[in-house]
Amino acid sequence: MRFIRLTIIFSILITVLASYGHGDGSVVDGNHTIVRLGLEQDMPLAFINKNGNPSGIMAAAIFFAILLTFITTTLVLRVTVRRRTVELEQEIEVHKQTAKSLEKSEKELRNILVVNEDLKKSLSGILDTLPSIIARIDRDGRVDLVNRRFEQFSGVSAAAARGMLLESLIPHFTPQLQQVSEVIDRRTPVSCERIQQRSGKELSFFSLQIYPLNEEESGMAVIRIDDITEHVRIEEMIYRTEKMTMIGGLAAGMAHEINNPLGAIMQHSQNIERRVSPSISANVKAAEEVGVSLNLVRAYMEKREIFQFISHIRTAGERASTIISNMLHYSRRSESRTETARLSDVLNRVLELAATDYDMKKSYDFRRIELVRDFAADMPPVNMTVLEMEQVFLIILKNSAQAMTGAGHGRTPCITLRTRTDNGMAAIDIEDNGPGMDEATRLRIFEPFFSTREVGEGSGLGLSVAYAIVTKGHHGTIEAWSQQGDGCRFTIRIPMYGRA
Amino acid sequence: MPLYDQDSNVWEGVMNESDISVLLVDDDEIILECIGAYLEDEGFTMHYSDSGEAALKSIAAINPVVCITDMRLSGMNGEAFICKAHAICPNTGYLLHTGMAYSPSNELLSIGMTAADVFQKPMHEFSTLTDRIKAIARAGRMCNGT
Repeated sequence: MRFIRLTIIFSILITVLASYGHGDGSVVDGNHTIVRLGLEQDMPLAFINKNGNPSGIMAAAIFFAILLTFITTTLVLRVTVRRRTVELEQEIEVHKQTAKSLEKSEKELRNILVVNEDLKKSLSGILDTLPSIIARIDRDGRVDLVNRRFEQFSGVSAAAARGMLLESLIPHFTPQLQQVSEVIDRRTPVSCERIQQRSGKELSFFSLQIYPLNEEESGMAVIRIDDITEHVRIEEMIYRTEKMTMIGGLAAGMAHEINNPLGAIMQHSQNIERRVSPSISANVKAAEEVGVSLNLVRAYMEKREIFQFISHIRTAGERASTIISNMLHYSRRSESRTETARLSDVLNRVLELAATDYDMKKSYDFRRIELVRDFAADMPPVNMTVLEMEQVFLIILKNSAQAMTGAGHGRTPCITLRTRTDNGMAAIDIEDNGPGMDEATRLRIFEPFFSTREVGEGSGLGLSVAYAIVTKGHHGTIEAWSQQGDGCRFTIRIPMYGRA
Repeated sequence: MPLYDQDSNVWEGVMNESDISVLLVDDDEIILECIGAYLEDEGFTMHYSDSGEAALKSIAAINPVVCITDMRLSGMNGEAFICKAHAICPNTGYLLHTGMAYSPSNELLSIGMTAADVFQKPMHEFSTLTDRIKAIARAGRMCNGT
């Protein structure tokens, strides 16, 4: 631009000088020639001589000046344009580069967004997969995020839960949730184990953890709740099994240690009675040797009630021995072996045992129950671990007796015991006319710790032990059939000839 | 030792208890004494041993009609003792006295023992034991007679 201006100014100067040299220079209105010069602006210039015609030299000078100006201008312009073009090209190149990198960053950004979305998806996938109940809440206990398990547990959708007080969604855990603000303030997690929840007859156990969210000053906490019922049950089962094993071992050891002295007491009292009996010739002979009459000795003992004392020693010993054998009843398993036995014998013995069982006497009178024995006459002896099967039958009888005691349904309580062969299996039915049970109870009756009785009454282990003995120990089946209000029937099937 | 002696004026078919020798094995002295006293009073000829090991040494000479052993002995247990003693005196009837709930093992079943040969401690009534001893003696005599 500058060059162009300079060129123009230069050419004007030449033109003016030329016009001064050849005319008076007056500019007169009238006929005039207008010459357009320059590229950007019009420059009306009138070159007039005295005659009104331009002179030849002047005209040539002007022409050359103009031509020179033009050429110079053109050259300068060309250079300028060329430079400008280069500049522009460079600029375009830069623009292109920018556009390219922009495109690249956009792509990257889009990728990041996709990755972010994936991450979000997989994160919520992980949260939803976890068996834990998870919620993120703020200091006031308002829910901000929950996982699927939480939705299932609380019965409230994630969208509906948002903004609600966590306490209102899971009111069972209100006492534990009081610690949320403390956890956020102190930035230390809190853990509560074995929180008991009762729904109906079932007892569930939960663990609850409150973690401060691991972000600076987030003011949020994450709640994690786990259903640890199964875990607690297994733990308790192990604990109880160990306890039972220990008690069993103690009982067995004690019984064995006590049995000998007890036997000596009972047997010697019997020996004493016999040693004053005139029916044994050795007694008569010995009495004669020391010069006393055996009959007089007996008369004296009679008078001083010595025979009665001896008989009481025996009775007391027998009572103690019954207690010992009851105790051994719980520790028998270790020495149990399979043998062939008649089911009718086993069942009769169990009924005898049930009638004398202290536990059973305490809560109900087994003798008041009418017993119907329906034993198949042609039933061959069955291969089984008698002591274990006795336990199974005893558990079922106890259950029936308890059920019938609880309900006053007007009927005479009655238990029917039936043996039969069923497809090569020995089947035993134990049927009562008690109150029966509902389907939900029936389905869970063999589960350990499932008890329809109040907590503390009965371990809830009985039928699960029976189940284990029949299915695992004897490769048999045990089933319960019942209709609410119309009695209950347990059917046990075991292979006739032992393990198949 | 004759099971039946015509000169002893015993009614035919009824054996004399003193002809029935019994070996009693128990490591508890009092038990040996009280069971022994009872069986002596019954008229059986009694022999005693306080361990399975000692009994194995003497059993051949005694060749008892019946051998009663405790299950839990200080050395070898009653079951092992019976198996070994049976090899020496196969005609002897073996009875097991135990404080535990017990049913005869396969080894004992294979030498002819049954649940009736197992007696629970403490023994309430001795008559079952004497009945069993007499039954074994009778079976043995019938065996010997034929």
